[in-house]
Amino acid sequence: MTNSPLKNKGPQDIGGDPAGPIDTTDHGMTHWQRQANAFRSVTTMNKIVITDELRRAAEELGSQYGQMQYFEITTSAIKTVLLEKKLFTEEELQQKMIQIRARFNVPDESLSPLKKTPLK
Amino acid sequence: MSPSPLRNSAYAPAPGHRFNIGDRVRVKTMNPPGHRRTPYYIRGKEGVVERICGAFPNPEELAYGFDGLPEKILYRVRFLQHQVWPAYQGAMKDIIEIEIYEHWLEPA
Amino acid sequence: MKKTSFDIHAPGNAHHDHHDHVHDHDHDEHAPVNEHDNGPPNDYEIMSRAMQELLEEKGYIKPGQIAKRMEEFDEQFPFRGAQVVARAWVDPAFKARLLADGRAACLELGTILEAERLIAVENTPDVHNVIVCTLCSCYPRSLLGMPPSWYKSRNYRSRVVFEPRAVLKEFGTALAEDVTIRVHDSNADMRYLVIPMRPHGTEGWSEEKLSQILSRDTLVGVTVPSITNH
Repeated sequence: MTNSPLKNKGPQDIGGDPAGPIDTTDHGMTHWQRQANAFRSVTTMNKIVITDELRRAAEELGSQYGQMQYFEITTSAIKTVLLEKKLFTEEELQQKMIQIRARFNVPDESLSPLKKTPLK
Repeated sequence: MSPSPLRNSAYAPAPGHRFNIGDRVRVKTMNPPGHRRTPYYIRGKEGVVERICGAFPNPEELAYGFDGLPEKILYRVRFLQHQVWPAYQGAMKDIIEIEIYEHWLEPA
Repeated sequence: MKKTSFDIHAPGNAHHDHHDHVHDHDHDEHAPVNEHDNGPPNDYEIMSRAMQELLEEKGYIKPGQIAKRMEEFDEQFPFRGAQVVARAWVDPAFKARLLADGRAACLELGTILEAERLIAVENTPDVHNVIVCTLCSCYPRSLLGMPPSWYKSRNYRSRVVFEPRAVLKEFGTALAEDVTIRVHDSNADMRYLVIPMRPHGTEGWSEEKLSQILSRDTLVGVTVPSITNH
C-alpha cells in the first residue's frame, strides 16, 4: 500500500501490506550485528535512551527504512537520539569513526576488525 | 517508579480504567503524524476488550523525550479477522489480538 | 565465502551460507548492503563501534558491559523459553501460574525478564497461537534471545496478520481447517510466549529432554513440536 502523507502511515507500519514468500531460514548474526544489538540493549538498560525514542528515530528514516538492513536502522536510530541528547557531537563521532577505520586495515581480513580492537 | 506488589508481574495497576473485559470498543479512525503504536490496519475496527494490562507511560510521548505522564491504560483487544480484513480467506472464528492504549479507543 | 568463527547461526542452520540461497528482494534483512564481517566494513559497523567507545570514554557505559551483554544474548537468553515451557508441560500448577502472569512465573525459575512483561498463550486442539510485531520486532529477548531473520522481515510482519494459515504453511505447519488461529500483534508493552501442545509419545520425558523439542520457532507459533526428528 502506498504511504501517502495524508495517511501518516509510517514506513514501519506494514501489517496487511501485500508481500512475498517468507525466507524461513534464520541466517544468524555476524559479529558486528551482535555488537550493534548488545550496544542498543545496553543503551536502553543504562537508561541513556528509551526504546520508544529509537523507534521514532527509525521511523523518521522514511523511504530509506525499507532499503536498510535491520541493524543499520537500529544503529542509525541510536545515532540520531544520542546526538539529540548531546551525548557527543557530530564532530566527535566523525573523529572516532576515522580512528576506528584506521585500525581496520585489511579488506581481505577474515576476522572482524572488532576482534582486533585492544581490550580496555 | 514507586514500589508496587505488582512490580514482578506482567501487569500494572490500572486505576480509573474506562473499559472492562468484554466491553465492545472501536479503535478511533485518526491519522495523526508522529510515533504511534496503533497499527494503521486496525484503526476504525471493532473488537472486544480481552484483558487490561495496566497503566504505562504513554509511548507516543516517550518517543519524543517527554515523561509520558500521566500514564495511559493499555488494553488487549480481540478482533474477528474477517471483520478486520474484508477479503479474509480463513476460518470465521479466526482472531487477532492487539494492544491498544485507552486514548485510541471509544465505546462501540 | 569464509565465515568468521564467532558469527552466530541458528541451531540446525550452522552450515548455511547466504550465498547459496535465492534471495527474496523484499526481505529487509537482505537489502543490498554489506552485512558480512569479511571485506571492508560498512559505515554502520564503524559507527556502532565508535558510539560504543565514545560512551565508554564518557562513562555512560562501563568497560566490559557490551561484551557481557553479547555473551548473555548468545549463551543464556536463547535457552530460557524452552525451560519455562518444559516446566509448564510437566507441572500443571506452574502452567496455570504462567498463563495467569508470565513474568511472575518466570521469576519462580530464577528467570528475571528485565523490562519485559510476558503474556503466555496456550495452544489447544482448538486454538493455535502465533506471534508477530508488525511495527518493529518486539520479541521476548531475555527469554528467547534475538529474533530470527524471518521474524524481522518485511514479508513476515506484513503477511502473518492477514493470511496466517498461508504463512504457517510456508513454515511447513499445516493446521486442521477447524482450528482457530489466534494472531497476536505484539505492538506495545507486552511480550508473548506460545505454550505449544505437548506431543503424544513424550510421556515420562524429563524437562531437559522436553526442552530439546521446544525450538524457538515452536515458541513463536510458526511450527509445532514434533518427536519424529528426535
